[in-house]
Amino acid sequence: MDKRLIGKRVVRNEDPRLLTGQAQYVDDVNLPNMAHAAMFRSEYAHARIRSIDVSKARAYPGVIAVYTAEDMGADCYPGPPLVSPPPTVKDVIFNSRRQVPLVKDKIRHAGEIIAVVIAETRYIAEDGLDLIEIEYEPLPVVADIEKALEPDSPLVHDDLDSNLAAHLVQKKGDYEAARASADAIIQRRFTIERGTAAAMENRGIVAQWDAKSEALTVWDTTQAPIPIRNGLAARLGLSESKVRVIAPFIGGGFGPKIMMFYSEEMLVPWLAIKLNRPVKWIEDRRENFYATTQERGQVHEVEMAFTRDGKILGIKDDFIHDTGAYDPYGLTTPLNTQSHVMGGYDIPNFTSEFRVAFTNKTIVTPMRGAGRPHGIYVIERMMDIAAKELGIDRVEIRRRNLIKPDAFPYEHGIIDQAFAPLIFDSGNYEAVLNETLKAVGYEKFIKEEQPRYRAEGRRVGIGVLPFIETTGVGPYEGARVTVEASGKIAVATGVGTQGQGHFTSFAQVVAEQLGVDVTDVRITTGDSAHFNWGTGTFASRGAVVAGNAMHAAATMVRKKILKLASKVLNAPEEELELEDGMVRVADIPQSSISLSDLAALANPLRGAVEPGTEPGLEATAYYGPQYGPTAFGVHAMIAEIDAETMMIKILRYVVTEDCGTILNPLILEGQIHGGVALGLGNAYYEKLHFDENAQLLNASFMDYLLVGSTEMPRIEVHHLETRSPLNELGTKGVGEAGAIPVPALFAQTMEDALYDYNLEIRETPLNPNRLFGIARKEKTA
Amino acid sequence: MKLSGEYVFDGPREEVWKLVRDPEVLMKCMPGTQTVNKISDSEFTGEVTVRIGPFAGVFAGRVIISDEVPPQSCTLTIEGTGKIGFLQGVGAIEMTELEGQKTLMKYSGEAQIGGKVASVGQRLFDTVSKSMMKQGLDTLNGFLKSNAA
Repeated sequence: MDKRLIGKRVVRNEDPRLLTGQAQYVDDVNLPNMAHAAMFRSEYAHARIRSIDVSKARAYPGVIAVYTAEDMGADCYPGPPLVSPPPTVKDVIFNSRRQVPLVKDKIRHAGEIIAVVIAETRYIAEDGLDLIEIEYEPLPVVADIEKALEPDSPLVHDDLDSNLAAHLVQKKGDYEAARASADAIIQRRFTIERGTAAAMENRGIVAQWDAKSEALTVWDTTQAPIPIRNGLAARLGLSESKVRVIAPFIGGGFGPKIMMFYSEEMLVPWLAIKLNRPVKWIEDRRENFYATTQERGQVHEVEMAFTRDGKILGIKDDFIHDTGAYDPYGLTTPLNTQSHVMGGYDIPNFTSEFRVAFTNKTIVTPMRGAGRPHGIYVIERMMDIAAKELGIDRVEIRRRNLIKPDAFPYEHGIIDQAFAPLIFDSGNYEAVLNETLKAVGYEKFIKEEQPRYRAEGRRVGIGVLPFIETTGVGPYEGARVTVEASGKIAVATGVGTQGQGHFTSFAQVVAEQLGVDVTDVRITTGDSAHFNWGTGTFASRGAVVAGNAMHAAATMVRKKILKLASKVLNAPEEELELEDGMVRVADIPQSSISLSDLAALANPLRGAVEPGTEPGLEATAYYGPQYGPTAFGVHAMIAEIDAETMMIKILRYVVTEDCGTILNPLILEGQIHGGVALGLGNAYYEKLHFDENAQLLNASFMDYLLVGSTEMPRIEVHHLETRSPLNELGTKGVGEAGAIPVPALFAQTMEDALYDYNLEIRETPLNPNRLFGIARKEKTA
Repeated sequence: MKLSGEYVFDGPREEVWKLVRDPEVLMKCMPGTQTVNKISDSEFTGEVTVRIGPFAGVFAGRVIISDEVPPQSCTLTIEGTGKIGFLQGVGAIEMTELEGQKTLMKYSGEAQIGGKVASVGQRLFDTVSKSMMKQGLDTLNGFLKSNAA
């Protein structure tokens, strides 16, 4: 019998609970005597607060309390910086500005919290908001990232000379020399606009203070429960062991839920202690549009140097990144962009300079893709333009530049988002490209099908392009694996779960080591009472970092099992097998002991344990990579467009992904499907429209168009496995892969479909109206 | 957000001007107007109920008239705040006499809106403001005609 579980299409352990409504979400937490909070948010994007009058709200029946910054006193100070600037880059500028729980004097983006009303019900709390009177002095607003860096721009932070939040230059080789020897120089400008993650579940926090034991319990829709626990303990002057943070089931994270500290995360626990009552705050959708972080705003000025035969000599990329009103998340997103502007290509010379601008808009922090789609958009658009200008087939020009299999580990000589050297650990890029071309039938489409469509007057285009995804960064994650007296396996890790299938893929890793059924491994994620070390679920790192910690802990427990069983069964360890929850002597099946009995023996009630032995069959292990593995993939799309309405129909969508060892293809495909959905939204549906006063004009699902099931194509997923040499399991991350290449692929496909319009698309997101305008060289929104 | 247009009144310019400068008349013309208070000859405050898409609410506002050249032109500075958002705008009105005792009013202005009105009602705001404007001017024209009669 095949004992391998890793790589098997195991159905998900968590699904019965999720599908029958038994999974606990934050809003399911209802405690006796619980009060409800509602936030009074600024409608102005930039204004000075002249006066705040909450007296009527305080007097409203059912209102328990109203707090302003003044009422919070010395407790009203900004959260800690989440990520510090890179220390290893020369001349880096970074001005750290973080949000306070309640704004006292100056509003910097619409949606900032000025007061909080706590009432017996949310209804009453919302009524209380209507009674708050604020007098504002509106200030000139800066919404545009390029205008923000002009000398006469209004200042988001008055103590700074300009709106420059950060400036960083990274270089590899000598671009100017490469340029001098080039046959062709191509320059373009690209604009990328904001979208929102639009997780199905908005943010929410419930905090409970137990005054007698001086213990705080917080249920939080965070992707980083352990750092939230540590930060809250420090902020509130409590022992870490007295603060428990639980990130239960979460209806989608996508990055914004790892932002910390959100104002509400600082406020709600503080209120629970202050009032000595449990307090609940659940974000509504409109708040989510203003107060939950967003992503994607950048403007790039790019230049690339090529030889006549399409070989890349170098890239020079200058870009501005929009961080919104504050920059708590450091430089993660623009650094990711920088790491991805070279794509999967062998590029000897690279100069990249970015400036980060403060604007009067919602804060920007990583959102699924986290700067990577921007980089891939820029390089892949440039490759398409180069293919046209140099008269080389667009697949061929890419093939000529992809990093060759023998070039790994491929060192770029710059640093990545984790301040580690940017090194691509392993890969077989051309094989992934070939697999995709074969699967989508590229040659046949170009030679036979497309001419036939065109003869029929139909505009059907094909797009194919590769992308990389840097994944699985440190610092570390941990796991504890315990064989319980029942023979079942209890596993705990600090990472939280937002739909990634952790209860199954992690269980497969552990079950394979311990010879048990996957359903007998019970995983607890994101509860600091169960495991209190870790950083969080982000950067496509769960399967890599926590997965390898699981593997290490399970391997240690396996050793303990074999050691004890060897003694009990009087057989050498090499002859023992772990199967079906039993340890057996290989050739004598009747000589066996169950894990349950063995667990009891390892934790006796009487007698003596040998000196130097630990009780139980349990181990805790940690894994921290020096740098993260880099995954690779190729997406292909065939789509038809109606040039009158610009409505599209995607006929084929093919993905080939190489994320190293596959833990569970079912879960992997689900991740890719979800990613592609977000990517299609970013490409053709979703865009946050801000006016020049930084007022968001489409803050509801009436106007913000999400991709629905009717827009989603059937997605064919193919796999290649190039194991990462960096970790035992050989895994690379895939959480963001689906989303990364889609806007660039979409642009390529549309240019091909609308061949007779001779388009050059240099912006994303598009929409039918905008594409219609580009096709007719008109200005449209 | 920009708002501009023109309207032809069936009456002489002086008459139109008189009506435009009468708060009592304006109150009756502006749809949803609940109160108008005269602070001075050139400053008025008042309350207007506005419905935009899913939101309805009362805006408390202030209008200041400046650069007045009777009966020809003036500048209006408007600010309003309410539970559903805020509005600030500056507009210019210019009236020219037409043949046959008619008056052409040209108006143009720029408004900044925020809050729910902007975030959820933006798409409707343009239509709502145009229709409110037309309704108001039609009513004003009605007064003009009945006064003349």
